[in-house]
Amino acid sequence: MTTLPLLPDLPAHQIVAFRQGQAINRAVFLHDVLGLAQRLPADRPLLNLCQDRYLFALGLFAGIVRGNLSLLPNSTAPESLHALQAQHPDLLCLHDHADVPSGFELLRVEPRPPMPSPTLPPMPQIAADQPVALVFTSGSTGTPQPHIKRFGRLVNITRAGAARIWAETGGPCAVLGTVPFQHMYGLESSVLLPLLGGGILCAERPYFPADVAAALEALPTPRFLVTTPFHLRNLLEAQIPIPPLAALVSATAPLTRELALQAERQLDAPVLEIYGSTETGQMATRIPTRTEQWTLFPEISLIREGETTIASGAYTEQDIVLGDVLELLDAQHFHLLGRGADMINIAGKRSSLAFLNNVILRLPGVRDAAFCLPHDGEASRLAAFVVAPGVTAREIQQGLRAYVDAVFLPRPIIFVDSLPRNATGKIPAAALAGLIATHLDAGA
Amino acid sequence: MSQEQSSAAAPDTALEREVAAMIVSALNLDNNPDEIKAEDALYGDEGLGLDSIDILEVALVISKRFGFQLKADSEDNFRIFGSLRSLTDYIAAHRTK
Repeated sequence: MTTLPLLPDLPAHQIVAFRQGQAINRAVFLHDVLGLAQRLPADRPLLNLCQDRYLFALGLFAGIVRGNLSLLPNSTAPESLHALQAQHPDLLCLHDHADVPSGFELLRVEPRPPMPSPTLPPMPQIAADQPVALVFTSGSTGTPQPHIKRFGRLVNITRAGAARIWAETGGPCAVLGTVPFQHMYGLESSVLLPLLGGGILCAERPYFPADVAAALEALPTPRFLVTTPFHLRNLLEAQIPIPPLAALVSATAPLTRELALQAERQLDAPVLEIYGSTETGQMATRIPTRTEQWTLFPEISLIREGETTIASGAYTEQDIVLGDVLELLDAQHFHLLGRGADMINIAGKRSSLAFLNNVILRLPGVRDAAFCLPHDGEASRLAAFVVAPGVTAREIQQGLRAYVDAVFLPRPIIFVDSLPRNATGKIPAAALAGLIATHLDAGA
Repeated sequence: MSQEQSSAAAPDTALEREVAAMIVSALNLDNNPDEIKAEDALYGDEGLGLDSIDILEVALVISKRFGFQLKADSEDNFRIFGSLRSLTDYIAAHRTK
């Protein structure tokens, strides 16, 4: 059985995290992880809702040590969590704040009291094939489909990403993320990259531009910012001084060349983009101001079969059919021609039209409905066409809110008498475009 | 104390209307700004129902029009965005232009 150390081989006094202005070294982090691991019941799956990234990481790594699987659902809306609990009745909820869902057994995550003499405890050895996390895709039916992440593959893909990123920054960095870390991008780039890739994790998840600047200021150099096109544009438009960055990375939605150029001009640092998916994790990077070509990570290969592209290699459980349209240039390079039409990604949170349509169609009084993304590109607001006589837009928003994250709530909701479904019950893309042109573009 | 009472008793309705119109315009809302009441909730599942992305957009417009940056770690954002009046009061207290 192949085993790997829980953490990379670094000196005990090496700083691995910053939290509330305090530097945390590798010995203290491991001490905190092992302390929490002792408090975890064996064999129970974990729902890690910690909002502090350091405490989230403690929960994740303590679970790895103890053998607990961490469940990372797409949505933390109440009904989504209860559906998860129905499938995993012995779910234990890790949290660090008062705002937790009702009906769950809770365990509060806290750092341990400081050690009298910080020495490095023995490093746990983890089986490479140990399942450590379950992430979810929406599935074509709208029912969340679980995907297992095993420790060895997570370590390898993180190392591949770290090699790519640290080559651009000149070495390991302090990593600040504006993105949620319960999804693959935020997990890989803002939690695993610093902890498994030799950098420094930052516990804060800053919200307003001034918070981003302050959080960066509190970190040692070199610094690396993990963000999305939406957060990046918001940061740049605030026109405030940003502390020096070694580089920044964007993912989840297409980053326009204009925004990348503006970011490099204003922040005086290269902008990387990461391409990946929930199933595969991160797969490729590029620097959009230099090239449109994506460069694959080593050990991943892509095969084109008709219109679809299949990814395989060392980091994936099995062959993965990608949702996007890729043009393969050679063994290491590709162009991204089109994003999968179904995936919706807003500010680092993900959902799918199939899931959203499934939810809205089940609301009381809704006879037919279709979500749409009226404007392609970054950070657009979803809209919905709904056939629901006697139901108000507010009632639909309230109904959806129980199941989906607020960033996916449609605005506007347009009530229509019927939807242009064809003989197979689908709404052709052209017909949907016609609805959008008639109802949304005219008034905009 | 008496100042707080007088400011609470005499809210800046002109600024309140300006802020309401600013929110509607920044977010392309369907609402008529004049129909947004001072005590209406802005964030969450009541009132306007703004979410975390909307708040960032509104904060950007506030910074440009009123000349100050919002910060999450110094103030309670749920309180600030609790209602149109609380946001207006916060802007009145922090504006530099």
